[in-house]
Amino acid sequence: MTRTAIHIQNVTKRFGGLTAVDEVNLDISEHSISSIIGPNGAGKTTLFNCVTGFYAPEEGEIQFFDKPVQGLPTHKICDMGIARTYQNIRLFKEMTAVENILVGQHTRMHSMWVESVLHNPRYLKEESTAIAKAFELLEFVGLLDLADTPAFNLPYGAQRRLELARALASDPLVLMLDEPTAGMNPQETAEMMAFIKELRDSKNITIILIEHDMRVVMGVSEKIAVLDYGRKIAEGDPTEIQSNQRVIEAYLGPSMDGIINRKKRKKPDYA
Amino acid sequence: MNESLKRGLRLGLIFGIVFIFFMLIGFTNVAATMIGDILGNVDQASVNPQLPVLNLITFTGLMGFFTGIAAYKKDANPSWVQVLIVGLIAGLAAALLVVGFILLIGSLNAQGVDFRTYLPNLGANEIQYLIFYTTPLAAAQRYILFIILFSIIGSLIVKLFSPGSPVNIALNSLKKNTINKLDVETLKSALKNRFVLIGLLVVVAVLMYFLPFVWGSYWNYIMGTVAIYILLGLGLNIIVGYSGQLVLGYVAFFAIGAYTFALLTAPQPHAIEMNLWLAMLIAVLVSTIAGLLIGLPILNLRGDYLAIVTLGFGEIVRILIRSDLLTALTNGPKGVTNVGQPFWRGQLFTDTNYMHLLMLLVLAGLFVAKRLKDSRTGRAWISIREDQTVAQATGVNTFRYKILALLLGAAFAGLAGALFASRNQFTGPEDFTLMVSVNVLCVVIVGGMGSLPGVVLGAFVLKGLPELLRELSDYRLFAFGALLVVMMIVRPNGLWPVSRPKFIKAPPEDCQDEPVEVKV
Repeated sequence: MTRTAIHIQNVTKRFGGLTAVDEVNLDISEHSISSIIGPNGAGKTTLFNCVTGFYAPEEGEIQFFDKPVQGLPTHKICDMGIARTYQNIRLFKEMTAVENILVGQHTRMHSMWVESVLHNPRYLKEESTAIAKAFELLEFVGLLDLADTPAFNLPYGAQRRLELARALASDPLVLMLDEPTAGMNPQETAEMMAFIKELRDSKNITIILIEHDMRVVMGVSEKIAVLDYGRKIAEGDPTEIQSNQRVIEAYLGPSMDGIINRKKRKKPDYA
Repeated sequence: MNESLKRGLRLGLIFGIVFIFFMLIGFTNVAATMIGDILGNVDQASVNPQLPVLNLITFTGLMGFFTGIAAYKKDANPSWVQVLIVGLIAGLAAALLVVGFILLIGSLNAQGVDFRTYLPNLGANEIQYLIFYTTPLAAAQRYILFIILFSIIGSLIVKLFSPGSPVNIALNSLKKNTINKLDVETLKSALKNRFVLIGLLVVVAVLMYFLPFVWGSYWNYIMGTVAIYILLGLGLNIIVGYSGQLVLGYVAFFAIGAYTFALLTAPQPHAIEMNLWLAMLIAVLVSTIAGLLIGLPILNLRGDYLAIVTLGFGEIVRILIRSDLLTALTNGPKGVTNVGQPFWRGQLFTDTNYMHLLMLLVLAGLFVAKRLKDSRTGRAWISIREDQTVAQATGVNTFRYKILALLLGAAFAGLAGALFASRNQFTGPEDFTLMVSVNVLCVVIVGGMGSLPGVVLGAFVLKGLPELLRELSDYRLFAFGALLVVMMIVRPNGLWPVSRPKFIKAPPEDCQDEPVEVKV
């Protein structure tokens, strides 16, 4: 039986008067690829931020393999095995590609500062293993020839892949990707899709993505959750979501019938 | 052509104004004296007006020379005639301004007007000197002649070395040949050779051993100060350069180290007179603990807030030291005298011994800082500097690492403080003003944030250079400030910016002997 990797129960996050995430329930099972979709401002990234510890939710509970994570500092959550990428790429710009990945491995390394001054055998061994692993990851994301390039000098696509490699460096059990194909052309998007699938199969990890590109979402996801105004309005496999009336309304606006039936609904600002 | 002429005119006017400014503040006379010192001749025209005022003429020529160089527009690639004309125009513009000024002050001086009420550096003697002890009119002719002449020479010389000119082509081919012969790669691989490296180290060690004997106590004092600033810079570099925490009260740790050492070893006011080396260790420890106590409450602050809070901390420590409250403990504003000095072979430390000790400690400090930088710890620090939020989400316990940076930085400052107090045999609250923090921060920034050779270079430039500029006396700070401004414009990333380490992909298990080098 597959276990539940992430269990989100009744999570609410408010910013002043705005409820960004409103009583969301979501279960992500192990080794699955799930997507969270929704119009702009629906609360997808906020939900990500709650899970990865950037925000502490006001209400509700988030469990990671049955251990509660809400309220923990981000580095502890990373250590437990949740890694993420960012909507707007956030690499350590002055550091090279290899160094970025080495920082990613930080939580899996143990040498203290004294050891790094003394260069004792344990430190040297750990360091060389880490460098070897960093190059492996670079090869995996296809950046081997840019290993010593500072991150700010990398082309856009390479930066996205490096961010992924950095997230993978901490050996995560769950990988959360915030719009991994944003700004990519169709060819790159297709590559990224294949890459995400391969990632799940070869590294055997659970993947959650936020994505706007429906081809990606429908192509890779086994489960899709739809958020709108902070609420989860639908959940299911791609075919279910495609035919779900509320999802269509959230994206395209209500049909005439819908307007008549649900007058109270606020006019979506994305329309 | 029109453009180059305009540029020549503009720069000529600027240099003319600068020259007049130099005359107004009396810098011209000082500079001329300096030139005299360097060239070894003294302007004796005051004794015998027939003798040429060589040094002033040299200075005037230099000013004209720079005018010409500046006026040359590199990207325009003008012809020789155009260069000549531009140099002439620039020189003429500068000369006319200067001559106007000279005629004015010369004639007013002849009428007995005393400028010294408003311009203390423009007395009758100085003006006599500026007009070459002749009439203003005769002086004006000389100024026009030399400024224009050297301006043209300056422009022509730039043209001579600019791309496409025969000299440039000759130089380039020379460069190519020599560099090809030297072969950078061979040099690099030679440096990797163990024997070559050891040989080089031995040479450096021997030099470092003998230099303090050779250059005398004055230079030992200056170089000692430089060494102490290198230690301080290394410490602050960990805090500011690596972990990116802008701490402005760094002098506090320096003061705590110095006072701990002084109070533990001086006969007054506590008469503890502890073993020197033990006291030094304790001084480092106390500074470190101070770092911890300060760091715990404030390191959650970011950026400007942290800077302001630590700024306050630095001043608080100094004021506490000199306050009535702690006079019984610290001797107040009087400071602590007769701070203990170490012994070497039964004799008190000489300046040479101090220099050797400082050199050793600087080397040790560089070693530690270098190893920290290229380790898990160093990478964690740099990731915090780059993006603290993401660093933490990537698994770095940012708070712990920021505290660690502050502790290690404080330890360096404590050590530097102990050495400072011991070498001076005295320590007082006024040794630890805000300016020390600012200077150390300048060492780090001027050298290049996070760069170790940068710290060394920065300390030499900021602490050694002012000593070299001592000749300039009153104008030392002026020249120094100008130098800093120019440097930050020309090299905004510091004198020796950091380079990121290169990693070599480890070979697969089965072919250990051929490492695959990954090229950028």
